[in-house]
Amino acid sequence: MFKELDPLLHSQLRLAVMSILLSVDEADFVYLKEKTEATAGNLSVQIEKLSTAGYISVEKDFVGRKPHTSCRITPLGRKAFEDYVEALKSYISNQ
Amino acid sequence: MEDRALNEKESLQLISQMIQSSKQNLEVGRGNEFLLWGYTTTILAFAIFVLEWVTRQDFWSFGWLLLFVFWAGMTYFRRSKKPQVVTYTSKAINQVWRVLGYMFIITVIVFFALTYAFQASLTIICMPLSLLYIGIGVSITGIILQERCMIYTPLVAFVIAFYMLGVLAAPNITPDIWWNLYFGIAIILMQIVPGHVLNCKAKKVCSKN
Repeated sequence: MFKELDPLLHSQLRLAVMSILLSVDEADFVYLKEKTEATAGNLSVQIEKLSTAGYISVEKDFVGRKPHTSCRITPLGRKAFEDYVEALKSYISNQ
Repeated sequence: MEDRALNEKESLQLISQMIQSSKQNLEVGRGNEFLLWGYTTTILAFAIFVLEWVTRQDFWSFGWLLLFVFWAGMTYFRRSKKPQVVTYTSKAINQVWRVLGYMFIITVIVFFALTYAFQASLTIICMPLSLLYIGIGVSITGIILQERCMIYTPLVAFVIAFYMLGVLAAPNITPDIWWNLYFGIAIILMQIVPGHVLNCKAKKVCSKN
């Protein structure tokens, strides 16, 4: 019996964002944009989806006069990611 | 990158690729903060030594308080320039130095208070204690960054701190203006040398990637 893959994580950009946030404590929007090579509009939509699901926390503030958005993975997001990887493993080992 | 669904293999590849790209123990300029602190402290140490030597006045030692001004400036600068990414490594290092910074502030306050209470000059003990705090901080940073030079150079500088503590404990020897010079030398060993080594290594690592 295959575990169901989390549809929220089973998308290229959202999975990339989650993978980055898993390996750092905190990353800002510019960093995520550089690493994923996504457009700003698309990235902010996907960040919003992950944030609404409670997988990441988003903090918006100002550094000087510039707006600054930083993202962090939440314990719920970490758990969802671990479950996703487990599900992936079961798919691959049964192929 | 787009918002498209992946197959299982692509998912695993993407996870590994992203984790790899954000994994960095060394970044260019990692040693800059050590160099800034190191050069400022060393210049101040040599300046205080020369001024005390020439004028034969002890009050120049209050010049050490300028380091608090420098500290405030650095804190302001750091706040106005938030890093793009905070790795677990840099978070751990920052926390180590924050705790050591608090220890230093407590030490200074306590010994200034004791000097006032006992009417005896006790603030001089801040010098060897600061060397120990800085040394411990540099060593822990070296352990986190796996940089051997940073782990062991503070041990050499500890000898100077222990010498100072020994002098303070001895009844017939008193601290002299040479302590400023010894302090400067210890800082060269503990901050300037590791700072340059760290920057060289970071340059090499980043040019390879």
